Amino acid sequence: MEYKDYYATLGVAKTASEDEIKKAYRKLVRKYHPDVSKEADADARTKELNEAYGVLGDPEKRAAYDSLGSGQYRAGQEFRPPPDWGAGFEGASAEDFFADLFAHVGGQRGGRQGFRMRGEDIHAVLEIGLLDAYNGAQREISLGRRNLKVNIPKGVTAGQQLRLAGQGQPGMNGAEAGDLFLEIAFQADDRYRVEGRDVYQKVPIPPWLAALGGEREVTTPSGRVTVTVPPNSQGGRKLRLKGRGLPAANSSGTAGDLYLTLEIFAPPADTPERRALYEQMQREIGG
Amino acid sequence: MPKEEIVEGVPLEHQALTLHELARACAVEPEWVVQHVQRGILIGREGASIETLQFTSVDLGRARRLAQLERDFDADEDLAALVVDLCDEVRRLKSRLRAAGMA
Repeated sequence: MEYKDYYATLGVAKTASEDEIKKAYRKLVRKYHPDVSKEADADARTKELNEAYGVLGDPEKRAAYDSLGSGQYRAGQEFRPPPDWGAGFEGASAEDFFADLFAHVGGQRGGRQGFRMRGEDIHAVLEIGLLDAYNGAQREISLGRRNLKVNIPKGVTAGQQLRLAGQGQPGMNGAEAGDLFLEIAFQADDRYRVEGRDVYQKVPIPPWLAALGGEREVTTPSGRVTVTVPPNSQGGRKLRLKGRGLPAANSSGTAGDLYLTLEIFAPPADTPERRALYEQMQREIGG
Repeated sequence: MPKEEIVEGVPLEHQALTLHELARACAVEPEWVVQHVQRGILIGREGASIETLQFTSVDLGRARRLAQLERDFDADEDLAALVVDLCDEVRRLKSRLRAAGMA
């Protein structure tokens, strides 16, 4: 595992006071907040800031981190844990350098006082494709020394939380493990926009289909369908395909709808014949 | 090779959290949840009393963000709620801009 310099992440000295650490964190977390920041790496920076402040903002965790580093490691350097490191603990998140240390510190405390304490819950975001939500999917995630294959039920929506009971941090002295919560997010896909269970998809059509109407075959997330374009359609018109949005999560639920938004495109006038046709349209239709 | 298990991800809409489970998942005291429900900042559903309220995905995501804002910025709970609502609106508008090819 690589050593992470949390002081460098927050841009403070190792001797910084609690107040200085808090101020530095607040300033940076505002700068990189994913909802307002223009920085390209805002998401990653926010995650790093939260991880660093989660440790340095807590006196007990900070003391444990300081005793571990003691100035002998630099960021990115291969970190060798002490011999009794994490003995008897499993399930720390590999993505969080400090997760092992949490367990380590907790273990010492538990051993000293002998009390039982339930393991902490773990929260993570799981990105899936829209088709995974239509069909259900299985995703592999890594939790340090364990890998989990997670079955994702069909019909999940963005923002929905999946609970995996007992898959969080292990408990102390035989207490139950925490839970793992996975928040579903959809991978960016220019083809679709999703609102709740309703899905919006753009369908490009040529001007004559818009004007005259007719049938068009469209590949949708739930398969190929033939839709009827009504005559005299304008760009932006929406065709609703009931029940072809995200499927219901259970038998008592309702599937979303799929909205096909018509976009009229003009094929290029790149041959004399095409040009003549467009000129004829211009003469006879005008506009 | 790490040991591999297959587990079912259960949406909170199928198996909601109790008040105490929500508090634990947000690393706050149950009283914090009660206070936020009483002020209308968290909603919950299908409970005859606050103690029996059920909390689903929206509540968990919202409660965690509220708790973090209040903790990290020593923020007033109503102000934190306003920030969370504004962030949600920003996300919704950004998503519409992306859909319109404007972002």
